[in-house]
Amino acid sequence: MTPDNRPNDRQQRDRRVVSSRLATLLLLLPALGLCAVFIFIPATLAIAGSLFEIGISFSNWRFVGFDNYVRVFNDAVFWIALRNNLIIVVGSIVLQVGGGTLLATLLDRGLPRYSTVYRTIIFAPMVISTVAIALIWLMILDPNTGALVAAMRVVGFPMPRLGWLGDPNIAIWTILVIAAWQYTGFMMVLILAGLQGISRDLYEAAALDGAKGMRAFWYITLPSIRNVVLVAILITTIGGIKVFDLVFATTQGGPANSTQVLGTYIYLQAFNLGNMGYANAISVVLLVFAVILGWAQLRATRRA
Amino acid sequence: MSNRATLLLGVSYGFMSLWSLFVMAPVALMLAAAFKSKRAIFLDPLGFPDNLNFDAFQRAWDTGMNVFLLNSAIVTVASVAVIVLCSGMAAYVLARSPSRMMQLIYLLIVAGFAVPVQAVLVPLFQMISAAGLLNSRLAIILPYAAYGIPFTTILFYAFFLDFPRELEEAARLDGCGKISIFFRIIVPLSGPAIASAAIFQTVFIWNEFVLALLMLTSPSLKTLPVGILQLQAEWTADWPAIMAGLSIAVVPVLIIFVAAQKYFVRSLAGLGK
Repeated sequence: MTPDNRPNDRQQRDRRVVSSRLATLLLLLPALGLCAVFIFIPATLAIAGSLFEIGISFSNWRFVGFDNYVRVFNDAVFWIALRNNLIIVVGSIVLQVGGGTLLATLLDRGLPRYSTVYRTIIFAPMVISTVAIALIWLMILDPNTGALVAAMRVVGFPMPRLGWLGDPNIAIWTILVIAAWQYTGFMMVLILAGLQGISRDLYEAAALDGAKGMRAFWYITLPSIRNVVLVAILITTIGGIKVFDLVFATTQGGPANSTQVLGTYIYLQAFNLGNMGYANAISVVLLVFAVILGWAQLRATRRA
Repeated sequence: MSNRATLLLGVSYGFMSLWSLFVMAPVALMLAAAFKSKRAIFLDPLGFPDNLNFDAFQRAWDTGMNVFLLNSAIVTVASVAVIVLCSGMAAYVLARSPSRMMQLIYLLIVAGFAVPVQAVLVPLFQMISAAGLLNSRLAIILPYAAYGIPFTTILFYAFFLDFPRELEEAARLDGCGKISIFFRIIVPLSGPAIASAAIFQTVFIWNEFVLALLMLTSPSLKTLPVGILQLQAEWTADWPAIMAGLSIAVVPVLIIFVAAQKYFVRSLAGLGK
């Protein structure tokens, strides 16, 4: 290499560094831009907007400080909604994660044949739209012409007079069962993936030490899938906090607000009643729950 | 085999079969109702349809199921393409840059994963409305893309960390820049990761409801979940037509799922890992 070639060389290297930086920027920008515009800015605006009174026209913002939050905590329907979210979270953990663990254990160790057939059937509702599922169940549970009423009449089982979704004391529990119908297969598959990661040697060694059946499940299976179950619980909890479609399409939060959840109540306040600022304050409550749980899920997932 | 083991096996098969029946019964009732007449469903909600009656399918199809199907397909394909492309590009850069700045950017994108769309409905609606995008497909494609990016970026990031670097080195020595390495080397070799991410997002976007409900009110733009609910509101008691509409929406998805169930299961089970 002759000395007079060197400056040229450096120029080329400089150009390379610049173009590499530019390439980095070009590759990053679309993802960052979309997330900023549609996730971070709206989240910030929801927090800011919760301190204002905003009419349906959006033009007249009036600063009210924490008044919206005071109203939220004195609003009986907000507490009904929060209680319903809690019912769905706890109930879904029991039914979906509990049922999913049971089904996955049977699939993993119990069934010598046809396990793929069972897995496919039980997982299938996961790919069906929640609105479609809600409508199918609305038909089945129809108090006059529904298949369940007809079937129960044959057996002589008493039915709620107002219908499974029409009775304010029962409706939320019916929604819980429909949710379990939809998502238990998902939990089963999630936990099955964890079970299949357990080494067979572990079971053989334990069998030599006399641990079989329930004991093996308790001392080997459960500890080995602890993290997967934790992730399943977190996914279910986040799903229960965010639930919207199923409630909206079955009961719209009724009868008499008895199945209202945070998601449907935000929608009602914002888009039916026009209380945008108030809806923002409820949204912030939802956001706080979701961010804490989402963070926990990511941490648990990384360790798994 | 001992008696106890046989009993256990019987109980296992019994339980799995019962749950499978519980899962299949509503789908079977949907299909049965779709083939019945309005009279038959009222008189005998449990029975099989007497003959295959396609009237209800005709009614559902004519009320706009064809439009809803097409709209859902357009929106889903566009959103998933944007998600996969943007997340892939970002994850590649982030996985190859050890600097603190890049780590922070990665954490920022990951943080977006925790924000549910239900919590930002009001400002999102205000922004889309102010931008004049209400009742345009972009009003849902762009938010769908944004909400799919954090999780997909996490997925690709993990995939690219394990990606062998020799090929990239060779391409760099040949004078390829970052962008052409990404498109010529990385993308062609990322098939499994792309498929898994695409399936996952397709399931969610095809079924997404609340944003589509809020942003699109024009009947010619509505997607399946919103369109179906509109059918139900219009035909209060015409269960056969509603169920025929649902069957048109649900059966193709179920067939695709059964044909490719291995990939669906792998893709969704990936959430736990």
